[in-house]
Amino acid sequence: MEPTDDPKLRKLLHEWKVENAPRSLDERVLGERRPWWTSLLRGSVRVPIPIALTCAVLLVWMTAALVRPRPASPPGDSEFQPVRDAQVRIIRSAHADR
Amino acid sequence: MTDAEFRDAYRAHKDVLYRFARRMTDSAEAAEDIVHDAYLAVWRTTSKFDSARGTLRSFLLGVTRNLALQRLRRDRPHDALEEDASIAGPIDLAGLERAQIVARAVATLTPLQREALILAEYEELPLDEIARATNAELAAVKSRLHRARENLRRMLAPLLETKGAVHGTNR
Repeated sequence: MEPTDDPKLRKLLHEWKVENAPRSLDERVLGERRPWWTSLLRGSVRVPIPIALTCAVLLVWMTAALVRPRPASPPGDSEFQPVRDAQVRIIRSAHADR
Repeated sequence: MTDAEFRDAYRAHKDVLYRFARRMTDSAEAAEDIVHDAYLAVWRTTSKFDSARGTLRSFLLGVTRNLALQRLRRDRPHDALEEDASIAGPIDLAGLERAQIVARAVATLTPLQREALILAEYEELPLDEIARATNAELAAVKSRLHRARENLRRMLAPLLETKGAVHGTNR
Protein backbone atom coordinates (compact mmCIF):
# COMPACT_ATOMS: atom_id res chain seq x y z
CA MET A 1 0.00 0.00 0.00
CA GLU A 2 1.44 3.39 -1.00
CA PRO A 3 1.71 5.97 1.76
CA THR A 4 -0.38 8.30 -0.36
CA ASP A 5 -3.13 5.74 -0.90
CA ASP A 6 -4.57 4.59 2.39
CA PRO A 7 -8.19 3.48 2.13
CA LYS A 8 -8.48 2.80 5.85
CA LEU A 9 -7.28 6.25 6.76
CA ARG A 10 -9.48 7.82 4.11
CA LYS A 11 -12.52 5.93 5.35
CA LEU A 12 -11.83 7.04 8.91
CA LEU A 13 -11.27 10.64 7.88
CA HIS A 14 -14.58 10.70 6.09
CA GLU A 15 -16.42 9.79 9.27
CA TRP A 16 -15.98 13.48 10.09
CA LYS A 17 -18.75 15.10 8.13
CA VAL A 18 -19.52 18.80 8.03
CA GLU A 19 -22.58 20.54 6.72
CA ASN A 20 -22.79 22.54 3.51
CA ALA A 21 -23.09 26.32 3.53
CA PRO A 22 -26.11 27.44 5.60
CA ARG A 23 -28.93 29.46 4.10
CA SER A 24 -28.02 32.41 6.30
CA LEU A 25 -24.88 32.78 4.23
CA ASP A 26 -26.94 33.27 1.07
CA GLU A 27 -28.65 36.33 2.46
CA ARG A 28 -25.40 37.72 3.81
CA VAL A 29 -23.55 37.40 0.53
CA LEU A 30 -26.24 37.91 -2.11
CA GLY A 31 -28.09 40.50 -0.08
CA GLU A 32 -24.98 42.65 0.21
CA ARG A 33 -25.10 43.61 -3.44
CA ARG A 34 -28.27 45.62 -3.83
CA PRO A 35 -28.70 48.55 -6.25
CA TRP A 36 -26.54 51.50 -5.28
CA TRP A 37 -29.44 53.74 -4.35
CA THR A 38 -30.68 51.34 -1.66
CA SER A 39 -27.56 52.17 0.28
CA LEU A 40 -29.03 55.64 0.77
CA LEU A 41 -31.84 54.01 2.75
CA ARG A 42 -29.96 51.17 4.40
CA GLY A 43 -26.39 52.33 4.51
CA SER A 44 -24.46 53.85 7.35
CA VAL A 45 -21.43 56.06 7.54
CA ARG A 46 -18.66 55.82 10.07
CA VAL A 47 -17.78 59.23 11.42
CA PRO A 48 -14.71 59.90 13.58
CA ILE A 49 -15.68 61.04 17.05
CA PRO A 50 -13.95 64.48 16.85
CA ILE A 51 -15.87 65.30 13.67
CA ALA A 52 -19.12 64.05 15.15
CA LEU A 53 -18.63 66.17 18.27
CA THR A 54 -17.73 69.24 16.21
CA CYS A 55 -20.85 68.83 14.07
CA ALA A 56 -22.99 68.33 17.16
CA VAL A 57 -21.62 71.50 18.77
CA LEU A 58 -22.20 73.48 15.57
CA LEU A 59 -25.74 72.15 15.29
CA VAL A 60 -26.57 73.11 18.87
CA TRP A 61 -25.05 76.54 18.41
CA MET A 62 -26.97 77.20 15.19
CA THR A 63 -30.21 75.98 16.72
CA ALA A 64 -29.71 78.21 19.72
CA ALA A 65 -28.97 81.16 17.47
CA LEU A 66 -32.19 80.65 15.53
CA VAL A 67 -34.35 80.17 18.59
CA ARG A 68 -32.94 83.10 20.60
CA PRO A 69 -35.26 86.14 20.39
CA ARG A 70 -33.58 89.08 18.65
CA PRO A 71 -33.47 92.37 20.64
CA ALA A 72 -35.36 95.31 19.17
CA SER A 73 -32.95 97.63 17.42
CA PRO A 74 -33.40 101.47 17.54
CA PRO A 75 -34.62 102.93 14.26
CA GLY A 76 -31.93 104.46 12.26
CA ASP A 77 -32.15 107.40 9.93
CA SER A 78 -32.44 105.15 6.97
CA GLU A 79 -35.42 103.22 8.27
CA PHE A 80 -37.91 106.00 8.82
CA GLN A 81 -38.56 108.96 6.59
CA PRO A 82 -40.93 111.83 7.40
CA VAL A 83 -44.02 112.11 5.27
CA ARG A 84 -43.46 115.07 2.95
CA ASP A 85 -47.04 115.98 2.15
CA ALA A 86 -49.57 114.70 4.63
CA GLN A 87 -53.13 115.84 4.10
CA VAL A 88 -54.82 114.99 7.35
CA ARG A 89 -58.55 114.38 7.12
CA ILE A 90 -60.41 114.74 10.37
CA ILE A 91 -63.57 112.73 10.62
CA ARG A 92 -65.94 113.67 13.39
CA SER A 93 -68.78 111.55 14.57
CA ALA A 94 -72.44 112.49 13.74
CA HIS A 95 -73.17 113.41 17.42
CA ALA A 96 -70.50 116.13 17.47
CA ASP A 97 -72.67 118.50 15.32
CA ARG A 98 -75.71 118.58 17.71
CA MET B 1 -18.10 40.26 -13.22
CA THR B 2 -21.81 40.79 -13.71
CA ASP B 3 -24.36 40.22 -11.03
CA ALA B 4 -25.54 37.04 -12.73
CA GLU B 5 -21.98 35.73 -13.00
CA PHE B 6 -21.38 36.45 -9.37
CA ARG B 7 -24.54 34.62 -8.33
CA ASP B 8 -23.56 31.65 -10.47
CA ALA B 9 -20.08 31.63 -8.96
CA TYR B 10 -21.54 31.84 -5.49
CA ARG B 11 -23.97 28.98 -5.96
CA ALA B 12 -21.41 26.79 -7.73
CA HIS B 13 -18.65 27.05 -5.13
CA LYS B 14 -20.14 28.15 -1.83
CA ASP B 15 -20.35 24.63 -0.39
CA VAL B 16 -16.76 23.77 -1.22
CA LEU B 17 -15.52 27.00 0.28
CA TYR B 18 -17.68 26.65 3.36
CA ARG B 19 -16.69 23.05 4.06
CA PHE B 20 -13.03 23.98 3.60
CA ALA B 21 -13.27 26.94 5.96
CA ARG B 22 -15.33 24.89 8.40
CA ARG B 23 -12.69 22.18 8.64
CA MET B 24 -9.82 24.66 8.74
CA THR B 25 -11.25 26.62 11.66
CA ASP B 26 -13.47 23.95 13.22
CA SER B 27 -16.05 26.67 13.71
CA ALA B 28 -19.29 27.14 11.80
CA GLU B 29 -19.45 30.81 12.73
CA ALA B 30 -15.90 31.49 11.60
CA ALA B 31 -16.48 29.57 8.38
CA GLU B 32 -19.54 31.65 7.53
CA ASP B 33 -17.65 34.88 8.18
CA ILE B 34 -14.71 33.76 6.09
CA VAL B 35 -16.76 32.70 3.09
CA HIS B 36 -18.80 35.89 3.29
CA ASP B 37 -15.65 38.00 3.32
CA ALA B 38 -14.12 35.95 0.51
CA TYR B 39 -17.03 36.48 -1.84
CA LEU B 40 -17.25 40.17 -1.03
CA ALA B 41 -13.54 40.53 -1.70
CA VAL B 42 -13.97 38.82 -5.04
CA TRP B 43 -16.98 40.98 -5.89
CA ARG B 44 -15.08 44.17 -5.18
CA THR B 45 -11.82 43.19 -6.89
CA THR B 46 -12.78 40.86 -9.71
CA SER B 47 -10.10 42.37 -11.90
CA LYS B 48 -7.56 40.29 -9.98
CA PHE B 49 -8.96 36.99 -11.25
CA ASP B 50 -6.99 35.79 -14.23
CA SER B 51 -8.59 32.80 -15.91
CA ALA B 52 -5.27 31.94 -17.55
CA ARG B 53 -3.78 31.18 -14.15
CA GLY B 54 -6.42 28.74 -13.02
CA THR B 55 -10.05 28.07 -12.42
CA LEU B 56 -12.37 30.36 -10.54
CA ARG B 57 -12.67 27.68 -7.87
CA SER B 58 -8.92 27.73 -7.29
CA PHE B 59 -9.01 31.50 -7.09
CA LEU B 60 -11.87 31.47 -4.60
CA LEU B 61 -10.19 28.77 -2.55
CA GLY B 62 -7.05 30.87 -2.48
CA VAL B 63 -8.91 33.88 -1.14
CA THR B 64 -10.75 31.72 1.39
CA ARG B 65 -7.55 30.05 2.42
CA ASN B 66 -5.81 33.38 3.08
CA LEU B 67 -8.72 34.59 5.18
CA ALA B 68 -8.77 31.32 7.12
CA LEU B 69 -5.05 31.54 7.84
CA GLN B 70 -5.46 35.14 8.98
CA ARG B 71 -8.18 34.01 11.32
CA LEU B 72 -6.04 31.22 12.69
CA ARG B 73 -3.09 33.58 13.19
CA ARG B 74 -5.38 36.02 14.98
CA ASP B 75 -6.77 33.35 17.27
CA ARG B 76 -3.48 31.54 17.83
CA PRO B 77 -0.72 34.04 17.07
CA HIS B 78 2.07 31.96 18.54
CA ASP B 79 1.49 28.86 16.42
CA ALA B 80 3.67 28.51 13.36
CA LEU B 81 2.02 27.73 10.06
CA GLU B 82 4.49 25.01 9.31
CA GLU B 83 7.06 23.11 11.25
CA ASP B 84 9.41 20.94 9.33
CA ALA B 85 9.80 18.46 12.14
CA SER B 86 6.26 18.57 13.42
CA ILE B 87 5.23 15.25 14.83
CA ALA B 88 1.81 15.17 16.31
CA GLY B 89 1.45 13.80 19.76
CA PRO B 90 -1.30 11.52 20.97
CA ILE B 91 -4.72 12.94 21.52
CA ASP B 92 -7.04 12.22 24.39
CA LEU B 93 -9.72 9.87 23.13
CA ALA B 94 -11.71 9.54 26.30
CA GLY B 95 -15.38 10.32 25.87
CA LEU B 96 -15.21 11.37 22.24
CA GLU B 97 -17.10 10.07 19.27
CA ARG B 98 -15.06 8.82 16.34
CA ALA B 99 -15.95 11.86 14.23
CA GLN B 100 -14.91 14.16 17.05
CA ILE B 101 -11.62 12.33 17.37
CA VAL B 102 -10.94 12.75 13.67
CA ALA B 103 -11.88 16.44 13.86
CA ARG B 104 -9.56 16.96 16.78
CA ALA B 105 -6.76 15.14 15.03
CA VAL B 106 -7.10 17.26 11.89
CA ALA B 107 -7.23 20.41 14.03
CA THR B 108 -3.92 19.37 15.59
CA LEU B 109 -2.14 19.47 12.25
CA THR B 110 -0.25 22.58 11.30
CA PRO B 111 -2.33 24.93 9.14
CA LEU B 112 -0.40 24.19 5.97
CA GLN B 113 -0.67 20.44 6.45
CA ARG B 114 -4.31 20.81 7.38
CA GLU B 115 -5.26 22.75 4.27
CA ALA B 116 -3.49 20.28 1.99
CA LEU B 117 -5.19 17.36 3.66
CA ILE B 118 -8.65 18.94 3.61
CA LEU B 119 -8.45 19.86 -0.06
CA ALA B 120 -7.05 16.47 -1.06
CA GLU B 121 -9.02 14.10 1.13
CA TYR B 122 -12.31 15.86 1.65
CA GLU B 123 -12.72 17.99 -1.46
CA GLU B 124 -10.75 15.59 -3.68
CA LEU B 125 -9.00 18.33 -5.58
CA PRO B 126 -6.11 17.38 -7.84
CA LEU B 127 -2.70 18.25 -6.47
CA ASP B 128 -1.98 20.88 -9.10
CA GLU B 129 -5.17 22.72 -8.20
CA ILE B 130 -4.27 22.52 -4.51
CA ALA B 131 -0.90 24.01 -5.38
CA ARG B 132 -2.55 26.91 -7.20
CA ALA B 133 -5.07 27.51 -4.45
CA THR B 134 -2.44 27.48 -1.72
CA ASN B 135 0.14 29.36 -3.77
CA ALA B 136 2.68 26.61 -3.24
CA GLU B 137 4.88 24.41 -5.33
CA LEU B 138 3.55 20.97 -6.22
CA ALA B 139 6.41 19.32 -4.35
CA ALA B 140 5.58 21.30 -1.22
CA VAL B 141 1.94 20.22 -1.41
CA LYS B 142 2.96 16.59 -1.74
CA SER B 143 5.31 16.91 1.20
CA ARG B 144 2.71 18.55 3.43
CA LEU B 145 0.12 15.98 2.44
CA HIS B 146 2.48 13.15 3.20
CA ARG B 147 3.37 14.56 6.63
CA ALA B 148 -0.28 15.22 7.37
CA ARG B 149 -1.22 11.63 6.64
CA GLU B 150 1.71 10.33 8.67
CA ASN B 151 0.68 12.45 11.62
CA LEU B 152 -2.92 11.37 11.34
CA ARG B 153 -1.98 7.71 11.21
CA ARG B 154 0.00 8.25 14.39
CA MET B 155 -2.79 10.10 16.17
CA LEU B 156 -5.58 7.86 14.96
CA ALA B 157 -3.74 4.58 15.37
CA PRO B 158 -6.15 3.40 18.08
CA LEU B 159 -9.01 3.75 15.63
CA LEU B 160 -7.21 2.26 12.67
CA GLU B 161 -6.61 -1.42 12.41
CA THR B 162 -2.98 -1.82 13.27
CA LYS B 163 -2.87 -5.36 11.87
CA GLY B 164 -1.33 -5.00 8.46
CA ALA B 165 0.61 -1.82 9.30
CA VAL B 166 0.55 1.47 7.61
CA HIS B 167 2.21 0.50 4.37
CA GLY B 168 0.12 -2.58 3.73
CA THR B 169 2.48 -5.27 4.89
CA ASN B 170 1.24 -7.92 7.22
CA ARG B 171 3.29 -8.50 10.29
